[in-house]
Amino acid sequence: MAMKKKVRAFLVSLVALLWGFPTLWVLYEAFFMRNRGVGFTWENFREAFSAAPFAQYFMNTLVIVLGLLLVQLIFGAVVGFILARYDFPLKSLITAVFIMQIVIPIYAVMIQDYQLLRSFHLLDTKAGIMLPYAVSGIAVLSFRQAFRSVPRELEEAARLDGYNTLGVFRRVYLPQSLPAAIAFAVISVTYHWTDFLWPLIVTNTASSRPVVVGLAMIGLSSEAAMQWNLLAAATAIVVLPLLVVFALSTRRILAAFVATFNW
Amino acid sequence: MEDSWVAKEEGSAYTRGSMVRTKLQAAFPHLVRYGLLLLPLSVVLTFIVIPLVRTVWESFLAINARGLATGPAGLKNYRELFASHLFRLVLRNTLLYAVLSVILCLVIAFFLSLLLNQKRNFSSRPLLIGLFSPTVIPMIAAASVWQYFLAPRFGLVDRMLSFLGLGHENWLGHPGTALGVLVLLFVWKYAPYFTLFLLAGLQSIPPEVREALRTEDPHHLYSFRKVILPVIAPMISFVTVMSVVYALETVDPVYVLTQGGPNNGTNLIMYYLYNLGFNYFSWGMAAALSTLLMAGLSALSAFALITLERRTFHWQ
Repeated sequence: MAMKKKVRAFLVSLVALLWGFPTLWVLYEAFFMRNRGVGFTWENFREAFSAAPFAQYFMNTLVIVLGLLLVQLIFGAVVGFILARYDFPLKSLITAVFIMQIVIPIYAVMIQDYQLLRSFHLLDTKAGIMLPYAVSGIAVLSFRQAFRSVPRELEEAARLDGYNTLGVFRRVYLPQSLPAAIAFAVISVTYHWTDFLWPLIVTNTASSRPVVVGLAMIGLSSEAAMQWNLLAAATAIVVLPLLVVFALSTRRILAAFVATFNW
Repeated sequence: MEDSWVAKEEGSAYTRGSMVRTKLQAAFPHLVRYGLLLLPLSVVLTFIVIPLVRTVWESFLAINARGLATGPAGLKNYRELFASHLFRLVLRNTLLYAVLSVILCLVIAFFLSLLLNQKRNFSSRPLLIGLFSPTVIPMIAAASVWQYFLAPRFGLVDRMLSFLGLGHENWLGHPGTALGVLVLLFVWKYAPYFTLFLLAGLQSIPPEVREALRTEDPHHLYSFRKVILPVIAPMISFVTVMSVVYALETVDPVYVLTQGGPNNGTNLIMYYLYNLGFNYFSWGMAAALSTLLMAGLSALSAFALITLERRTFHWQ
């Protein structure tokens, strides 16, 4: 039995090493690869920051990701509440529209959405990147599920205490949906922070380009110019903040990843 | 559609005189609900539903390079698409890529989930960070990592090969190896992610059942087939569908690593669609391909959603 445990531990460590190694190596080279010899240096990062406006890219990503999250949470909570607690004509049709948002991949309507943005004069803006995603069907469904599982007695008790519908929504329902909201936030932030093709199409200048698109540009140009240290540093700039956050709350993030799909 | 319903409601209220007030009072909360739903609904309608209808519609029209419809075309766009040699090559590449990636990914995820399932506090933090670091970084960053790794002459892989005296290899320079690199990248990026879901499936087995299995069937020969497999079967089908969707939607690593080359050997379907729309300006063919992709991918995601919903119902 103990033997079996050791074999298992060895296998898991081996896989973890195999999977973690490539990223670790790039980080190492970004910090320690000099033109001559090996030693700690900021030179690669200085070069990467002067080659592309990474601060601006990060700012854009931050605005896009957090702005979207806020809008998606508000729409998700309101729509989820209405769908969970009330019956009204056309309800199933309306629900179907929100489910369509989940099921239809944006890639399939990408060209139409691009032309739409052009006619709105929203190309190369952060708002343009965000608009098609502003309402998330997954947010609607997870809030709906969370609100449904709130016991009716809780609402009735709050009403006896004199709360109106808005008060009940804020004081009774919203606190109960916090786990669902956090789980959704993890999925939304990961998705939009890593989203590539749509922002690539919409943006042409650094003013609204998210960091992922900026990294892809660096990758293409440094391959052409054989400036591999630039690529290593740029990759490290993108990856390091994520890995630090992940290292700080490993288990919570992993749990959130899975919990989101337990509607 | 909301307006017409409200109008009907009001009209009937007027005819019945004394019931006007009560009817209106009953309708008012509905009005508030529709009002609140209006903005989110119109966002989804504008950016998803109407573009969807328009894409399907335009796939049956002749469209010039400036994006203007010039008349009905019947199935011409579809015929043109399937007649194109490039598209057939793209289909072949995508099929090969998807099958290889999905199978490798699922097999690794399955064994990894069994490995990780044993004890709750078994895995240490550095181990988890190593294993799931590809999961938390963006696909573009993952592709950059591999681009750096595989760089001809400079990258670690080539340096190790030349250290062993095996010469150089331009991994992204041959159609076969380039597609292989894309498959490995997919497996590296997503296998741990799918492991998480399978692990969640395994851990939904109640502790008392697990305890009973441990004493009754210590070698897991019977219980694996009769208890564990049926429990995670819905999760397996969900993960399978998700990985197929992810594989079909692969475009980021193609853009960064190979740009579809060499000789279109890594030109996958999403990258081809992107080129049709934004580089070749073949809007008609792009609409036809979008329609086909939409049908296929939305059927797959709907299937995934249904399996998951069924799973929750089953366990509660």
